[in-house]
Amino acid sequence: MRRFFPVDDLARDHRFHKLTIAERNGDPRSTLNLNGDQSRRSTNRLTPSRKDASEAARSLMHGIFVGEIQALEGAGRTCWDFTDAGTAEADAAAIPFALKLDMARQAWDEARHVEISVKLSDWMGTEIGAYAENTVLFEAACSTDPVLRLAGVNRALEGLAIDVFTTMKEFGNLAGDPFLSFCEDWMLADEVTHVKMGSDWLRRLTETDPERRKRALEFQGVVDKLFSFGGTRSDSDESPIGLARRFRELAGFTGDEIESIAEVSLEALQDRKTEAQDLQRQAATARFAETTG
Amino acid sequence: MTPREFAFVFFDAARIAELGAEVLGLLGLADDLHIEVDERTPVSRVTLSEGPPVVVHAESGAFEDLRKPRAMSDEATTLALARVLLRLRDRRQGGFAEAPPDVDLSLPHVAAWDSYSVGRLGRLGLPAHEPRWRYNFRNRHGFTDAADAAFTELWQADELAWGAVSAISDGACAVAAGRA
Repeated sequence: MRRFFPVDDLARDHRFHKLTIAERNGDPRSTLNLNGDQSRRSTNRLTPSRKDASEAARSLMHGIFVGEIQALEGAGRTCWDFTDAGTAEADAAAIPFALKLDMARQAWDEARHVEISVKLSDWMGTEIGAYAENTVLFEAACSTDPVLRLAGVNRALEGLAIDVFTTMKEFGNLAGDPFLSFCEDWMLADEVTHVKMGSDWLRRLTETDPERRKRALEFQGVVDKLFSFGGTRSDSDESPIGLARRFRELAGFTGDEIESIAEVSLEALQDRKTEAQDLQRQAATARFAETTG
Repeated sequence: MTPREFAFVFFDAARIAELGAEVLGLLGLADDLHIEVDERTPVSRVTLSEGPPVVVHAESGAFEDLRKPRAMSDEATTLALARVLLRLRDRRQGGFAEAPPDVDLSLPHVAAWDSYSVGRLGRLGLPAHEPRWRYNFRNRHGFTDAADAAFTELWQADELAWGAVSAISDGACAVAAGRA
């Protein structure tokens, strides 16, 4: 069986439409209030009181569904991509068999989450593939260093999942949706475990290699910023998804680490605003040039 | 049609105008229609002012193909235009005189009117994915059997007045709030 699998080769049927990072970042539109427009809403936080609440919740739920597929693929790859540290085939990137077992357990959890997400999407009136699939999650699971993968996937990606599930659980509670809040709560419990596994293994594998730990945490910072999805997740009300501080603590993040993620997320929000303003200016200039000839 | 050329999205102004004319014909409306698209935002809000001419103001998400961001969807465009134009037709045909202006409608009342509208549009042959609208109705009226029955009543109806639409909505809300 093949080791190290590029994102372009992920198996999907005709219902799925992949969205690349370039396509996503090239969209000059934004729900953020870029120019102090008073007619725009002051908060983007996903709550039932939003006029587009149902549509936004369905879209986020579909995002969770494809994210779960990619998390399953990522955890499965980590079981297989690296050699076993206790055997003759072990190489420089070998990992303990117990880590592989944890990744297998995670893959099992993610498979269950995929099934739950499909049923929840169906409950919310969404068909599989109704929205584009952003594959940035799996891309973070393609590192050839298992420690970077733990930092990128288990701590950054699964950390984002904690924030997303907390937001969706609160949305379900406020709307009185009995299935949404219940299912999100169960999946949230698993995600806290996945982050904790990542944190524990990261510390253990880099115990005698501070340089490698530093590289891994730097990589996590990059992925955290990427996973802030241009300001989609932050403490600001302008972001649809909040930072779930309490659950992050339970997952083993230190107070300093949570503050650092909060800062990175706000930076991503500001970066996105600047980027969207630039893209909008460029697009408007191009249109003016076309119409004037 | 404004704008004539799009810079932020890959929409076709002529096609949007064509779809608008088709919807007017389908609903038996003979108005002049002007469509304004705000392409700076991916939100899907659509509003209408009666004019004349009738002006539909849509944010680009309303006409977008959700599978291919920034691309236009004929299906989404048609349904978005039809929803607001059918509401306009309801107001003109009588029985809706006491309905508040669109901007003053409560979220449950918007969901109720949308359910009544999209159900009828489905019977006119437009794409109406019932589970999507049922979920929206539940979000506004509670996840109860009473809300589901109210949704079905609205979805299957063809000749309701505002009094009936709002009463069905209010009844479902009262059950959810434990008042009925």
